[in-house]
Amino acid sequence: MSKMVITGVVVAVTVLAASCGSDKAATAPSDGNVATIEVTLTDGGCDPAEISALSGATTFHVINEDSAAVSEFEVLDGTKILGEVENVTPGLDRSFSLTLKSGSYITQCTGGSKEKGTLEVADAGSGKSADPAARDAAVKNYLTYVASESKLLVAAVAPFADAVKGGDVDKAKSLFAAARYHYESIEPIAESFGDLDPKIDARDGDVPADTWGGFHRIEKALWADDTADGMSKVADQLVADVNTLDGSIAAIVLEPAQIANGAVELLNEVSASKITGEEDRYSHTDLSDFAANVEGADAAFKAVQSLLASSDSTLATTIEGRFKDVDTALAAYKGDDAVGNGYKLYTDLTPENTKGLSTSIDALAEPLSRVAALVLQ
Amino acid sequence: MTGAHPAGDTPPSDQKSPTLSRRRLLGVAGATAVGGLAIGASTAAVIATRDDDHPSSGVVVPFRGAHQAGIATPAQDRLLFASYDLSATAERDDVISMLKEWTLAAERMSQGDPVGEPAASEYSPPTDTGEAEGLHPARLTITVGFGPGLFTLDGKDRFGIADRRPAALIDLPSFPRDELDPARCGGDLCVQACGDDPQVLFHAIRNLTRIARGTAVIRWSQEGFGRTSSTTSSQSTPRNLMGFKDGTDNLLSDSAEFASNVWVTGADDPGWMTDGSYLVARRIRILIENWDRSALNDQERTIGRTRDTGAPLTGTAERDVVDLDAKDASGSPVIPVDAHVRLANQDKLGIHILRRGYNFTDGLDPRVGQLDAGLFFLAYQRDPRKQFVPLQTNLAADALNEYIRHVGSAIFAIPPGARAGDWIGQTLFT
Repeated sequence: MSKMVITGVVVAVTVLAASCGSDKAATAPSDGNVATIEVTLTDGGCDPAEISALSGATTFHVINEDSAAVSEFEVLDGTKILGEVENVTPGLDRSFSLTLKSGSYITQCTGGSKEKGTLEVADAGSGKSADPAARDAAVKNYLTYVASESKLLVAAVAPFADAVKGGDVDKAKSLFAAARYHYESIEPIAESFGDLDPKIDARDGDVPADTWGGFHRIEKALWADDTADGMSKVADQLVADVNTLDGSIAAIVLEPAQIANGAVELLNEVSASKITGEEDRYSHTDLSDFAANVEGADAAFKAVQSLLASSDSTLATTIEGRFKDVDTALAAYKGDDAVGNGYKLYTDLTPENTKGLSTSIDALAEPLSRVAALVLQ
Repeated sequence: MTGAHPAGDTPPSDQKSPTLSRRRLLGVAGATAVGGLAIGASTAAVIATRDDDHPSSGVVVPFRGAHQAGIATPAQDRLLFASYDLSATAERDDVISMLKEWTLAAERMSQGDPVGEPAASEYSPPTDTGEAEGLHPARLTITVGFGPGLFTLDGKDRFGIADRRPAALIDLPSFPRDELDPARCGGDLCVQACGDDPQVLFHAIRNLTRIARGTAVIRWSQEGFGRTSSTTSSQSTPRNLMGFKDGTDNLLSDSAEFASNVWVTGADDPGWMTDGSYLVARRIRILIENWDRSALNDQERTIGRTRDTGAPLTGTAERDVVDLDAKDASGSPVIPVDAHVRLANQDKLGIHILRRGYNFTDGLDPRVGQLDAGLFFLAYQRDPRKQFVPLQTNLAADALNEYIRHVGSAIFAIPPGARAGDWIGQTLFT
């Protein structure tokens, strides 16, 4: 089990008030990029005189087309000069860069009829003025998905538990991966309820042996011991636990950034345990879990995608393309056997196969990890 | 000078540069250590130190220039080499943007700076992975190469550059006694990171690999320690894992013969490779246990030199001439007919390469409980068809073959360096 990132009902993200002016604003510095602010020196002073920007690395590109009166531009914090360019005479342009922190600064174009201007820097993490309605809609969309998966989980666990209790090992085996699927698709949500995930999804050794229950306890009995004997109580408890989970969904409060982080968390689950075959070490049904994690990540990303600014469209396109690449890679390992829930068993894969799958997950998770900061609100 | 302690102790208070810069703090330290030499002001590919054997780790090797750094650069102490496969879904534009990003990142890291500007938000993963913060630039050089698979893979012209593949970028032929492991061979791209601090090298490869995600993945990698050749006249000859001085007979970057044997010129085809070079990499495992139980005189007759001084068997000092015609009292050659120095003798063959290899160990070979160690051979040259291939072919009868196995192999075209504003590979793709 990994440490969880999402905290279910506790809102972990501080929401700061946004104060974006209507003047020319800098483009948001996304990861690795530097925002550029253009300032023109005029006889009247700095143009624009009032600048709004987001915190982070920022380049000031200072242009003098034809002002004889003004040839320098300064950014000041009180009286302290943070950055400046001088001798920008008509026809010249010069640049300088600063890493801006949020706050109020002064701009100065000495010699202009109005020398001083303002620079308001909002925190990039919270300064985006995404429409609150859009934000609420994004969260609602995702929670609808979570609730739907949770219902499917309850519905899939019931016949599995019945087969276990009835001692039908073969039938239980054929229902195992399908029962897990809808848990794996919303795993970070389940993990946010501290005690539920260990009860439902602990692997051998994760918890004291005498308290070990859940999916993997039954998996071990079915595959390693070839019996369902003694598993009735474990099956009953599993049914109770997934119902508890289902009953808790309605109370969940989420931030868009948590949803985006949850998507990355799901892919980390794939990298850490599914691709190594450690998750379902007796049944080897890891690819079904893999597919569920990816489906859950896709649902989370799609929910928050509408919050990305148009300037982030390249990132969104990249992520969409890489989800497709993962789907294509996974589609090569479809299988007919009921045990695999539509996929081949992990043991049917060569190291070359797992390397290819792992690579496609890494390629997707890297750009996806940049989304959370961009949808913060 | 009090300012010469490692960065990280005192964050700079100047608000203009809230980013801790290894370069700014340590460039000063480096300059002090080498006697006031101006850092970064030189346009030469290499900043010489007073004694290349004891470099100041604060020294920055300029990344930009006509040639890529890491070739003529005096061999640093450490290597981390990575070979990459381009992903099946990568397109031409993906490769180009990766090379552009690599160029900027490599330039920054070689100066001791983080790979990019800090992320705008604490809710983003950090732009730089951070483990080199506070470390010296360590003479880091990053050298990028292009393997045959970049041009054509399984007969497919993936990026529209199949017709630009240099004829000299051959698929290496099989050599007698090759025992190549496909998992340690080939690659569409390579990055050679050299420097004096293994953590700086790890940081460099890690961050370039991160940038490459979705476009390229590491196929194999090799760590190296202890350079196995001297590459300038001021460096002393180091010893390889056989205990012998290695690389006495090497092209030296400050010699007259260097340029014409290493750099591709405008007279060579194709034009985009002008000022580039070709790299052959071979992972040569030494059968350490067998070597260790060989008698000293057997070892010395295998190499053709004495172990103690490195002198040829026909001389008394390391640099004495290797006299291949000398006979002993019984009329037999003093240097045996199958000795390594005879068969690998570059003067006799009229072939010269720059050897820039490193010792390596990957611990124990669990199958046999023996050390997995040897020489990671790196050779730079103007045309492998005329240099590495005939040299290696001539080693078929080498007595040394009894103690070594070539288990990995790759060849790369090393494009010219990136001048200001350019990117590595620009001459190929534009």
